[in-house]
Formats: sequence, structure tokens, C-alpha cells
Amino acid sequence: MTDLTGVSQLLNKVSDDPVLRTALDRAISSYWKKRKQVMERYPYVKELADEVRRIKEWSIDHMDKLLDKAIEAVEAKGGKAYVAETAEEARKIVGELVGTGKVVTKAKSMTTEELKLREFLIERGNEVYETDLGEFLVQFLGPKPMHFISPSIHLTREKVAEFLKDFMGVEVDKDDVEGMVALVRKFLRDKYFSADVGISGANAFAADRGAVFLIENESNIRLSISLPPKHIAVVGMEKIVPTMSDAWKVVEVISRYGGYKVTSYINTVMGPARRGDGDIGPEEYHVIFLDNGRREASKDPILKQTLYCLRCGACQYLCPVFGIVGGYWAGLESAYSGGIGVMWEYITGDKETSTQHAFACLLCGRCIEACPVRINQPEVLREIRRRLMERI
Amino acid sequence: MDLKAVKLLLEKNAKKTWNPLGVKEEYCSMWAEGMNFPERGEVLLYTGCLYQMIPYIDMFARLLKGFESMNPALFGIAMKINALADSLGLDTISLLASLEISKKDKERYFRIVRSIANALLSAGVKFAYMREEPYSGVLYHDLGMDDLFREHVMRLAKKIKETGARKVITIDPHTTYMLNYLIKEFVDDFEVEVVHYMDVLLERGYTPKVRGPKEVVIHDPCYLARWNGVIDQPRVLLSRAGVKVREPEFTRKFTGCCGGPIESLFPSLSSKLARKRMKELKETGSPCFTVMCPICLTNFQREARELGVRVFDIMEVIE
Repeated sequence: MTDLTGVSQLLNKVSDDPVLRTALDRAISSYWKKRKQVMERYPYVKELADEVRRIKEWSIDHMDKLLDKAIEAVEAKGGKAYVAETAEEARKIVGELVGTGKVVTKAKSMTTEELKLREFLIERGNEVYETDLGEFLVQFLGPKPMHFISPSIHLTREKVAEFLKDFMGVEVDKDDVEGMVALVRKFLRDKYFSADVGISGANAFAADRGAVFLIENESNIRLSISLPPKHIAVVGMEKIVPTMSDAWKVVEVISRYGGYKVTSYINTVMGPARRGDGDIGPEEYHVIFLDNGRREASKDPILKQTLYCLRCGACQYLCPVFGIVGGYWAGLESAYSGGIGVMWEYITGDKETSTQHAFACLLCGRCIEACPVRINQPEVLREIRRRLMERI
Repeated sequence: MDLKAVKLLLEKNAKKTWNPLGVKEEYCSMWAEGMNFPERGEVLLYTGCLYQMIPYIDMFARLLKGFESMNPALFGIAMKINALADSLGLDTISLLASLEISKKDKERYFRIVRSIANALLSAGVKFAYMREEPYSGVLYHDLGMDDLFREHVMRLAKKIKETGARKVITIDPHTTYMLNYLIKEFVDDFEVEVVHYMDVLLERGYTPKVRGPKEVVIHDPCYLARWNGVIDQPRVLLSRAGVKVREPEFTRKFTGCCGGPIESLFPSLSSKLARKRMKELKETGSPCFTVMCPICLTNFQREARELGVRVFDIMEVIE
């Protein structure tokens, strides 16, 4: 527990990997350029982010109340709501809803990664496809999603071209990124039509209308969740905000701080399709609200700010340590990455490993500047250190 | 690296010397010999000893890196022996004392502190200085060793109080942050005003002279820029002296860390971070870096030759 050798060896080894370094350098410099453009073009976003901080503070302090309201709203529309206290409970609920021998299409979702849901469903004899390009690559190339919004940040286009050539059995030009995207899209297109279940996470959840908000750029999410007859949304309890209007603000801040001038699509789902009204879409809408450490953290004066996290990935792009080790920081077993990843892992998963990783933070604070809601990661990570140091 | 061993070592060194590396308090004040500062006064210069400790930090870092590259597990064992068996004479205090620190090396960092003190004097600031000056304790806080930190800063607060100071001038970012914010969480009646020396110089309208290169690239220390909000001050001082300043891509509030803070637990990673940041600085076209923090200074200095650059404290560029 107190021996940091393993962490130190892992981080040292990967920081010497030239492919990882090239991939990170490219992604980070491209993000920084885009971020500056976005801030210049939408100067109001900073104020909007302050407002979102207030919305999140209130929401986390009223988590239980909002949860009740959210459940009520989902059921009023004919959807089904569930509360999962643990990861195991959540897997069990999803497992029963999906069954076996089914085809499942998935929207990219960190919360389902936290549950290792894809692996669980495959093990139960289902065919599961990640439909986000980056996440699709991670599904087949591993080792894990390396960034909140750019899961394949550790892969260079050269690596991806090599993989697609083998996987699809066709020639692939490493400089033709659009062409590679088209290849995967074509492969997935058939899967959407044969899928029995679509699974998504949520970028935000509006308690007043029981609505899931989902941001995407590839139109894969709307296909994943509207073509199959069943939609399951896994929602971390921290995602619930009071109103639709609050959720819109959250969603705009996420995409701007994620570096997007224009996000291609924002989906809102408010319930199953009502056939009589000529709606199209799934007949079943299941929402699973996941606790898995969140309620306890919401009562902890220091850890609590982790739950304000919008998972926009800005802090990961701008963290110096992340810049040389990427998602290996927080460990390969964790779904989460970077300093913020260590915090999420501490709350939702393995306290021991995350505590060891907490010692790799510089406490330099660039994450606070990067973060739309100004989460003080150094404060939280130091607190995690303290909890170990005072009992050894 | 084993945290239990680190904790033991720090506690042991603290017990003996009130310093994490076993550096003695009289050594911290040695730069001021012959300057005849009063020991009591309304205004106190408090250095926190971080500049003076650089040669020791540096040597310790080399030692750690050697252990790390030899066999990572070995270091943990060495630390345990070290921390537990004083009788073997393996403790860092005697270890560091037995390694020769060159006079030139010591003198460089003493000179930076002296240069700050002299600038304050030239600006007409009168101040007191402690004969045996304690370290700030900030490393204990960084590592989450709050009990040791509390004990350390309670003694420090008492010592500062004994000087009769109502205002303390600090010279490095970490000590400044500690006295401005952290100490108040641990000591109830710490009510002195804390100011960074650059703020004092600006307030007095001080115009420095050039002493080093005429053009530099500026590296904002994380704790100075982000945690203390001291950003324009060094730029104003440099420009008053006529030094041309180049800005790197990541600058001011978005400055990049030198890697120093994880040097004791992850020495190799720390030096890779230093090199990455130094490349960003070098891309501005200037091979002369100016920093305003002893941690940045030592962490960059170690990599400087290999990268073909020169690293200066701001008080080596101007005076």
C-alpha cells in the first residue's frame, strides 16, 4: 500500500513511449489552439461556466431530492427508473434488461466504463459494439479510454490505419482520417439496424422532465439509441440538475471547454416513443441512476467538488503529468484518467490504488485554470494523501 | 519508493533539525553574515530557507535518481535503514554533510538571497532577520503530513511573533503561499501581513539595474502566478531594468510546471517534466530562462547543460 514502486515504474515506462508522446503532443496542441479560438469567439462562456458551477453546487447538495424528482419524471412519461447503489447492482439491472444472445450498440460513456459494462455484457453472451470512433478503437486496441472525450488520445493515426487495415481487410491511407471514419461508420451502420438494445450514459439529466442529454459529433449516438427497440441510459447521480434549462447550460459548457466551436449534435431523450402520436424511437426507456460512492462523496466537504466535474476533459489536456503519461495516470484498472481520474477512482472504485496515484500530482494547479467549474484538484488529491499519511 | 520510509525519514530529520533534509537553521542564515540585520523589528524578512537549501535538494535529488535507476525497491530498503538506524551513520544528515557541497554552489544561492535583501535595502526598506532561520514546512503539507506540518508551523509562528514583526516579506512562491494561506488553517492567531518582495519593490518604485542577460524568456512559477497571483510584478521589474522579455506559449496563469514538486517521490518523471517545459521555453528563441522560484531554478538547472540553455533567478538578471 505504501510502496509507490509499481506506480513509479508504470508512469516512467509509458512516459518513454514515443508513440504515446507523439499522440499526446498532437492532441494537446490541437486542443489548446481550439480552446483559445473558442474563448475568443464565445466570451460569455466563462460566465456561463460560473453559473454552471452554482447549478452543480446546488444539485450536489440536493442530490437525494433531485433523484426523487428525476425518478418521478421518468416514470410519468412511461419510462422505467432504477437506483443502483453499487456497480454490481447496476450490472445486474442492465444484465436482466438485456438478456443474452442480443446485439447491443453503445454510445460512449465513462459511467458505463466505470461499470465495465461492455465486458460484462459480452461475457453474458451478447454482441456489443462501441459506436464512438475513439471508443470503438479502444474496444479493440485497448487498453482503456485514455481521456474523457478523446478516449483514443493515445493512438496515432498511423496506428489506427494499421489496425483498420487488419480489421476490415482493406487498404487504408494513414493521412485520410475522414476515410477511416467512413470505414468504421459503414461497419457500424448494419449493427444499428440489427441491435436489440442501445445503451448510453448522460452528459446531463434534467430532473423536471426526466430528460437525458447527450452530446456527440458522429451521429452515432442518435442511431444507437433510437433504432433499437430498447434504450437504457446509465446516469451517475451527479449528472442530475433541476431543469431543462440548467441541463442546456451544462451541455454548452461541456462542449465549449471540450474545445468545440460547434458540437454537431445534442440529443435529448424524454421517454419512450408514443406510437399513437407517430413518434419514432424505442418503445422502452430505462434510466438507471448510479450511486457507487457518489452519495457518500456528496457529504464529504473536500471530496464533494469532484462531483461538480462535467467530464469535459479540459484538465486532462492541460495537466503537465497527463501530457507525458496520458491515461496511465490513475492506473490501467481504472476507467478514469489523470488527476481528476484519481479522484473519481477514489470515490467509485479502488481506494488503495488511487491513493498511490494521488502522490504523482504536482499540485501545480493548471487544472483549476482549465476547469470550467474550477475544481481544486490539488486540494482533493492532497487530502487523499493525508488520509493515508496520517494512518501509516 | 515507500511512503512509510519517507515519513519516518522526514519525521526523524524534523526532530533533529526542524528541516526535512537535515539542513541546520544556522546554515539558512549564513548568507546574512556581516550584514548586521536587527533580530527584532516591525518588518521581518523571512526566506523560508528554500534558496539556501538548493545545493542540498539538488544532491538529494541526484541521490534519489541514482537509487531509482539502480533498483526501485532498493531505495525503499535504504530509506528504511536510513530512517531507523542512526547508529549506522547512514542518516541523510550525516550523508549530506559528508558529501562536499562546493563553495561556489553555496555562494550562488546565498548571492540570490543577498541580492534580494540588497534591493530591499536600496529601495529604503528596513527589516529584521532571524539569526537561526527555520524552514517553512511546506513539504510536509504537500505530502499530507499534517501533524508534522502543524507542529512545524506552530513553532514558526511563535518565532515570527517573537521578532515583533507585523509584516513579513517573503522571497519564494511556496513560502509566500504557506504564510498567506496555509498557516492560517493551523495556527489561530497568526495575524501578520505577508508580502512578496517584488510587491514591496514595486510599491517603493524601485528601478532595478541589469546584471545578467539583456533578453530572457520568462517562466512563471506555478505557485507564484496561480496561487499567489504575482504575474505582472516580475515583468514590470524586468522592463524597468530594460530587459527584453519573451513569453512562451503557456504563460501567466497557464504556465507549465517545472516538475519539481514530485522530485522526491518520482525523480525520473520530474526531470522529464522539466525537460518538456524547458523545450517550450526554448521555442521562444531565447536560451536564457528567468525563473522566480528556487524549486524551478534547481529543477531546470539540472537539465540545463544537456539542453544548451542557461537558467537564472530573476535576481541574477536584475539587481
